[in-house]
Amino acid sequence: MSGGFIAGHDDVLGTAFLRDGYVINQVEDAASLTRIRDRLATLAAAELGKASPNAPQDFLDNIHKLVSIEKLNEFRVSLIGKINAEPWMREAYYRLAEKALHALVGNELAMQRRVNLSIQLPDDESSLLPAHADTWSGDSPFEVVLWLPMVDCFNTKSMFVLPPEVNARIAPSLAKYEGEGIEALFREHESEFRYLTVNYGQYLLFDQNLIHGNRINREKTTRWTFNCRFKGLFTPYADKKLGEFFEPITLRPATRMGLAYRPPGSFRG
Amino acid sequence: MADRKGYRGYIGTRPLNGSRTPQAVQNLVVRDYAQRNKLQYLLSSVEYSMPNCYLMLNEVLAELPKLEGMICYSLFMLPADADRRLAVYRRMLESGGVLHAALEVQTLRGEGDIQHWEDIWLVQQALASSPTVI
Repeated sequence: MSGGFIAGHDDVLGTAFLRDGYVINQVEDAASLTRIRDRLATLAAAELGKASPNAPQDFLDNIHKLVSIEKLNEFRVSLIGKINAEPWMREAYYRLAEKALHALVGNELAMQRRVNLSIQLPDDESSLLPAHADTWSGDSPFEVVLWLPMVDCFNTKSMFVLPPEVNARIAPSLAKYEGEGIEALFREHESEFRYLTVNYGQYLLFDQNLIHGNRINREKTTRWTFNCRFKGLFTPYADKKLGEFFEPITLRPATRMGLAYRPPGSFRG
Repeated sequence: MADRKGYRGYIGTRPLNGSRTPQAVQNLVVRDYAQRNKLQYLLSSVEYSMPNCYLMLNEVLAELPKLEGMICYSLFMLPADADRRLAVYRRMLESGGVLHAALEVQTLRGEGDIQHWEDIWLVQQALASSPTVI
């Protein structure tokens, strides 16, 4: 990819990412994953006045039996606040794909300040996330999304993405859908969208410049996924700025040294 | 009106009149406006960043039969082209909805309000050509 400077596993990963627009791999830190999943299940149970579940996977998969569509957003927003309040959460999340992030983005990173949580109950008509690219809404094209399922995700219980070569053909003509709406774009190109199978224990790192989204969950169990953005610390920011949306997480010593440097001054000239 | 519920927020990613406001702040303004005016606020649609794109505005307008109206962060989020703006007003009024602009605390409920909104718009556009230093 870079004439030998990027080699081995990094080269393989990078080539796959650029070709497909995403990579799906086993998480790099199973203990962190378990900690996140178990804490989420405990918080969700507490929200419903229940004890910590013995089978967290099953509990999360079947939350639709306990939470109505009407109460879902309030439930989800409360869980987002509580899981993000855990002081270990963001670091644990980063550890799940640390090496992949270093290979694909760099090792001096900015991370979104809050990890976001999506919950899609089966047949919830309000959970449709129309096809979009995050860059359309102000994200920098230099960001990647680390998408983490808390349950097995597949077909309509997962997300879809448009492969890069198809995206390159379709995205430039977005303006032609301005009158009809984005659903018209999806209907016209539905067969070209790829639903991603990402099971619990895996992560998805994807290029959010590609058109992606999700449909109504027509599977029998509930989707629970986290998502969080990472970018190179010194790559251009768009509407999502450093401070208000992103925080530096891996500032390296040479950067600290450079930022602290003050040249000698006070020459009279 | 019985089946129509709530006001969709409408915020954006493009600067307005040369200033950029973070989406989180725009949402605070919209939600505060809804609360003070006892309007049921529905999660904001975010207009895309591409110049002159009103795809998300059109999505909200298409949703109007299910809504009581829309709360824009600012009336300056509407299209700069006067004919397109008038089309937005008309579609809102024909659907029986109410258009609110949270920042300017303006409401468009009837024909009589169109001229007021347009006065603000047209003066603002003229100011763009006026001296800025006294």
